[in-house]
Amino acid sequence: MSRKKKSLKFGNNNLVGYILIAPWLIGFLIMYLIPMIISIYFSFTKYNLLSAPVFIGIDNFTRMFFHDPSFWKSLGVTFYYVFMLVPLRLIFAFIVAMLLNSKRKFLGLYRAVYYIPSIVGGSVAVSIVWKQIFGNDGVAMALLSVIGIHQKTSFIGNPSTAIWTIISLGVWQFGSAMLIFLAALKQVPKSIYESSGIDGAGYFTQIFKITIPMLTPVIFFNLILQVINAFKAFTESYIITQGGPMDSTLFYVLNLYRKSFTYFDMGYSSAMAWVLVLIIGLFTIVLFKSQSTWVHYESKE
Amino acid sequence: MKKPISILLAAILTGTLAMSGCSKGSGSTTEKVDENAPVKLSITWWGSQSRHDYTNKLLAMYTAKNPKITFQATPSGWDGYFDKISAQAAGDTMPDIMQMDYSFISTYSKNDTLADLTPYVSDKTIDLATADTNLVDTGKVDNKLTGIVLASTALAITYNPKVFAKAGLEVPTSAWTWADFEKDMIQIQKKNGTFGQSKIDNISTFPYWVRQYGKTMYSADGTKLGYDDDQVFIDYASMVKRLQDAKALPNPDQWAQISAKGKEAEPVVTGEAGATMDWANYGVIVSKSNPNLKLVTPPYSSTGTKALWNKPSMFFSVAKSSKNQKEAAKFINWFLNDPEANKVIMAERGIPISSKIRDGLKASLTPQQKDMFDYADVAIANSTKADPADPAGVAEVTKALTDTINSFLYNKTSAKESAADFRTKANDILGRNSK
Amino acid sequence: MGENKKLRSFTFHFCTILLGLVMIYPLLWLISSSFKTNSEIFVNSYSLIPKQWDIVKNYSSGWAGIGGVSFGTFMWNSVIVAVIGTVGGVLSSVLAAYAFARIKFFGSKFWFFCVMMTLMIPNQVMVVPQFIIFKKLGLINNLAALIIPWVFGSAFFIFLTVQFIRGLPIELDEAAEIDGCNKIEIFIKIIFPLVVPAVITSTIFSFYWIWQDFFQPLIFMSNPEHFTVSLALNLYLDPNSFNNYGGMLAMSVVSLIPVVIIFLIFQKQLVEGVATSGLKD
Repeated sequence: MSRKKKSLKFGNNNLVGYILIAPWLIGFLIMYLIPMIISIYFSFTKYNLLSAPVFIGIDNFTRMFFHDPSFWKSLGVTFYYVFMLVPLRLIFAFIVAMLLNSKRKFLGLYRAVYYIPSIVGGSVAVSIVWKQIFGNDGVAMALLSVIGIHQKTSFIGNPSTAIWTIISLGVWQFGSAMLIFLAALKQVPKSIYESSGIDGAGYFTQIFKITIPMLTPVIFFNLILQVINAFKAFTESYIITQGGPMDSTLFYVLNLYRKSFTYFDMGYSSAMAWVLVLIIGLFTIVLFKSQSTWVHYESKE
Repeated sequence: MKKPISILLAAILTGTLAMSGCSKGSGSTTEKVDENAPVKLSITWWGSQSRHDYTNKLLAMYTAKNPKITFQATPSGWDGYFDKISAQAAGDTMPDIMQMDYSFISTYSKNDTLADLTPYVSDKTIDLATADTNLVDTGKVDNKLTGIVLASTALAITYNPKVFAKAGLEVPTSAWTWADFEKDMIQIQKKNGTFGQSKIDNISTFPYWVRQYGKTMYSADGTKLGYDDDQVFIDYASMVKRLQDAKALPNPDQWAQISAKGKEAEPVVTGEAGATMDWANYGVIVSKSNPNLKLVTPPYSSTGTKALWNKPSMFFSVAKSSKNQKEAAKFINWFLNDPEANKVIMAERGIPISSKIRDGLKASLTPQQKDMFDYADVAIANSTKADPADPAGVAEVTKALTDTINSFLYNKTSAKESAADFRTKANDILGRNSK
Repeated sequence: MGENKKLRSFTFHFCTILLGLVMIYPLLWLISSSFKTNSEIFVNSYSLIPKQWDIVKNYSSGWAGIGGVSFGTFMWNSVIVAVIGTVGGVLSSVLAAYAFARIKFFGSKFWFFCVMMTLMIPNQVMVVPQFIIFKKLGLINNLAALIIPWVFGSAFFIFLTVQFIRGLPIELDEAAEIDGCNKIEIFIKIIFPLVVPAVITSTIFSFYWIWQDFFQPLIFMSNPEHFTVSLALNLYLDPNSFNNYGGMLAMSVVSLIPVVIIFLIFQKQLVEGVATSGLKD
């Protein structure tokens, strides 16, 4: 390899690289970078959307950390939601994907049935359904009384259980993660299983020694995505519980949204948004760094 | 290294340009000189499907009569309505005509986003001669008339006579007191085994309660609460709790379930409660599900103070940045005063403000609507001057109210603690928002 | 041996169906409620069988739409936005993903970091600045304002595809390079066919997300002729008026149909015809 060829290759890579990311880059500049700069600016202002923003330095941040119990409350609720929902959802998705990754009758139907909740999950209609199901004369209460447990308050109205109705809505929508696992399972060559079977590996050994390691890139992907999305959860609590009862389902982004529009406090909510980005960023960096310890890439990059 | 820096610079430049768009609308208020040029008025309102349908019909009617005027209409649900208007304010694209709510008009007005319509009333473009002055004045903020009230409503107890009869009770009269009310509600619970009262909504009832003490919920300048004695709060919360503990009123959880089903499924409609506190159009809304509900004024306190008020149900406001203010004013006038228009509206937005229109409609009203109209007169007889428009920050204060009351209802704090907590929170919020 | 297999098969189907019923109950509730009269929906909410059938009224009143704009228009708008947004978005994302996963170019780590950052920002806080920008660009009230945020690719799909590509052995690329292919050819001939599952997954998700996004249409669109389905459904409900729940639920059911169709079409590709050849088979 002459040096000339190498440097040509290097220059060529840059050109190709930028051409390929050009569409994304354009979108990023218009839809993200500029709004981000504006939003960061807002976070240092008092801004009610109706009059020009007024610069107030770090006042929003001091209020957030020292004078706003709702900030800490919503942060706590959101953390709880993330740490409960994500593992449950991933485990469900993985198990069901494993089960459906075979040739059986009606498989397409089952797959559709498990995926469809993901499709409808964010709609107003489903939230109405959820309120019914977990409400005072809903199916959930009825089932409980069949077993002999009589509740005074419904799941939705009880500050201790309301968050779980929303978590259950999230788990119900495991179909999307399941789909991703399924797609990845398809990519695992059958030959590996066959050869390990010949070597005497049993079903569960195969799962733990072959399937899971091969799937770690996708598990990693699902994990990061689910964590990020769980931190940003909004619609469910907006429609089903409005953050109640007693703020037990006050998600961070719901709090943020309220402060932006309902309370005309856009500057403060922008500050809240960027604090959230930092928190999520921290988690993401930690997860990314952990890749080397448990994620197995075929391409060994 | 050149590329990233130049990108960053361009971004900052664009950002600065974009930011200059955040300042409030500086649209000219000079009218179009050419009176005959075609005009497109942008108009927005909130409501349900039926309101969207008849309002669009109205717009078509107006265009038929005034071919030069066309409309760009944006109907909306209540959810997100003001989010959008705020975003439009930020982007300097507020609609010409906006349906406006009493709890928001102060905020929009004080930030100079609404046009002062006084000139159009003075020159009779908008004819308010047949409207009640007190009512019209509710649209004045800082002496500027930034909202023209479209219709009025009043707080009312809507009750189910069958439920009262079943409990062996006489129907309530306008003179009844809170003591009577509690007694009746508890009796309904005892005799019928159901709720006495469907709901007591803090947002509308607590201000009413405060007025019974001769005070207003908010101070005149909107920087703090208008009442000084926490006993006001304690009495209210205790009353609610007594009813709740007696199972005559749903607790917050049960109420959350009930409200999720919509007004048509409220217990008072289905016969599982005796009454509900709501605006006077409640009976009209649920008339398809139960046409037999009746109206009565809310209970009096022992002070005997008349605490009702004629509430503006909604306004039309005009954007300060609108280039078509005169045409907008003309349309508002037509909306309020034209008999044909009001035959389409049929008091769906509330009781029309023009006495002439009210009289004109009487013949075509349904029984429930007639009740509502009659009730308006009764309510006015029991009313005093309305509170001024809600100050900025009211949404946050309302949440604080509900939270502190619920904290007491859930037995987490005492009534005294909740009262003091509410005062601290409310004053902090109001103070912060009034700067 | 045969009996064991039958038993396992039976158990499998039994459990799957049971869980499936639980999963699908909310949807059955939705559909059955769209057949009920307005007064029955909440009063008799348990029963999946309506006492009084009101299908025609619900569906036709719902279809009539809002203020003269039929529900069909809303559906059509959603279709345009979702299809263009999906096609453009998935394409842009896959291209970018290939670059990030396989090409060493200057600044790639930095730009990938930016990709991840866009994932973390809550939408609610970007909407107002985006609105201001669109207004300056004159794009308000144009469906373009709803399409642009998606059509340039989005972090989710880029990240997904990157992970898929990284799961492919680099030897494939190297073999092709030795054969004289340049980067673009490697992409078209080797990599793209192998990440079809990721592309299809992205397509399904993208369509669904664009379809049911409510907040952006709310802020950006003023003309009901441009409203999307998700926004329109919200307009049916107002706490202080009489609400046509039956109509709204009926249209909710209708609005789910395209998404389900897209899924049913593509899930076959996901299952069959996915090339696992080319790997160590």
